[in-house]
Amino acid sequence: MDQVLLQLLNGLVVGLSLALVASGLALIFGVLDIVNFAQGDFFMLGGYVLWFTVDRTGNFLLGVVLAAVVVGVAGGLTLLAFLWPLLDRPHALVILATLGLSLIVQQEATNLFGGATRLVQPPIAAQIPLGSVRYPVYNLAIIAAGALILAAGYLFLRYAKYGIWIRAVAQNRSMAAAMGVPVPRVYALAFIASAALAAVAGSLLAPIVAVYPTVGNDVILNAFIIVVAGGMGNFRGAAVVSILLGEVQALGSIHLRPVTVQIIALGLVILLLIVRSRRQSALVRL
Amino acid sequence: MFEVKALHVYYGKSHIVQGVSLQVGRGEAVGLVGRNGVGKTTTLKAIMGLVRRTEGRVLLGGTDLTRLPAHLRARRGLGYVPEERAVFPAMTVEENLRIGALLLGNVDQGRFLETAYRLFPILKERRLQPAGTLSGGQQKMLALARGLAARPTLLLVDEPSEGLMPLNVELITEALVQATGEGMGVLVVDASFDLLRRACSRLYVMDRGVIVGTYRPDEFRSPDELAATYLGVGA
Repeated sequence: MDQVLLQLLNGLVVGLSLALVASGLALIFGVLDIVNFAQGDFFMLGGYVLWFTVDRTGNFLLGVVLAAVVVGVAGGLTLLAFLWPLLDRPHALVILATLGLSLIVQQEATNLFGGATRLVQPPIAAQIPLGSVRYPVYNLAIIAAGALILAAGYLFLRYAKYGIWIRAVAQNRSMAAAMGVPVPRVYALAFIASAALAAVAGSLLAPIVAVYPTVGNDVILNAFIIVVAGGMGNFRGAAVVSILLGEVQALGSIHLRPVTVQIIALGLVILLLIVRSRRQSALVRL
Repeated sequence: MFEVKALHVYYGKSHIVQGVSLQVGRGEAVGLVGRNGVGKTTTLKAIMGLVRRTEGRVLLGGTDLTRLPAHLRARRGLGYVPEERAVFPAMTVEENLRIGALLLGNVDQGRFLETAYRLFPILKERRLQPAGTLSGGQQKMLALARGLAARPTLLLVDEPSEGLMPLNVELITEALVQATGEGMGVLVVDASFDLLRRACSRLYVMDRGVIVGTYRPDEFRSPDELAATYLGVGA
């Protein structure tokens, strides 16, 4: 029983951090139909900003905030500048451009920080008893922070002026422009928010997965599966499927080998896709 | 008050609009008629700033809009109700209306909604339904209500009566008449004789990218006479 509770919590940690990466992907896919292969590298850069800040100042929280701001603004706007000339061009060009950016960022990270794996100590070392085992309080903090950020993102999209504008641009770009929505500013905001979400996930998970130049590659694959299964461009769908996937993988690992768990998880995603495509999926529910 | 001077639009190698000039006065509704594919919709889109390669000037009340992107033209007082894909499909009817009010800055959202619902009561019944689940005609009424409630200086309306039941055509005609009565300028592309005759003071006839004539609606006694005029040109 303790084992199940432990894995449920682990599933939430994995699921919620994946959700931050995937919902960012869904956001810019919804607004611009852009598939961003560099999203995993924003995750990685978030980890490095955190490691660097903790190394210099010892302040973990500052590291998370800096990761969001620095990677969000610099990364998001770099990507936008990269893609701006390609916006109305074939999708293949956009995909190649983001792939190219991803390779450049990974190589630059290696040049700058070295290929070595950087370890970061969690800011909270305490553990609380959970039946017969002890569970790190820091993991609970990740769960709380992830849930809080996703809820805030959802409320922002639903009620804030810019949130409503993001949805408007996602659903009908030219009508949004004709009604006075500042489309270029909405693009910039979506890119910044998307990069910041990935960077926050990367910084929060740094004490658990460590930081190295290709750490984003392991995350991005799962994030893509989630975005497809959750309905391309669907913020809420991406969050729900992420948590589901995290839980399936965590609970499955109690009795099954990791490979078997991954197969089951992918099977579930396929099932989800079949069900979704049977029902209507024409409406973007960002 | 509103003026377009020598508007040209190109799509790829085709020269769709070839030097259109027109004027709409304050509180005046003007019709733009012609066969399918002569460039009426493209003219409206170009005025709104939604197509890329254009030449010519667009002036609204002394302000030159020519170099502004669509969203800034909207903020200077242009409104647009397209023929298709006019609503935000996953938003409710009320959200669609609220987003219109949101752009007006300090305008009272409640009064904006009330105006729209008074024009078309069916929208109030459907207010919590996603706009994408409305019928085509209801979507058109929603878009028109949103465009009118925003009170632009000039509203561009593309085929508002197409596919509507006669009763609803009367309803939108009344709405346009009322709007011009309050000082709004309207440039409407439509084929409904009743709507054009009742709402418009002038009609521009367009053929193959150019304006070939200007008429008063009362010069035509029947829909057939009007149709003969614009179908006849260039044929």
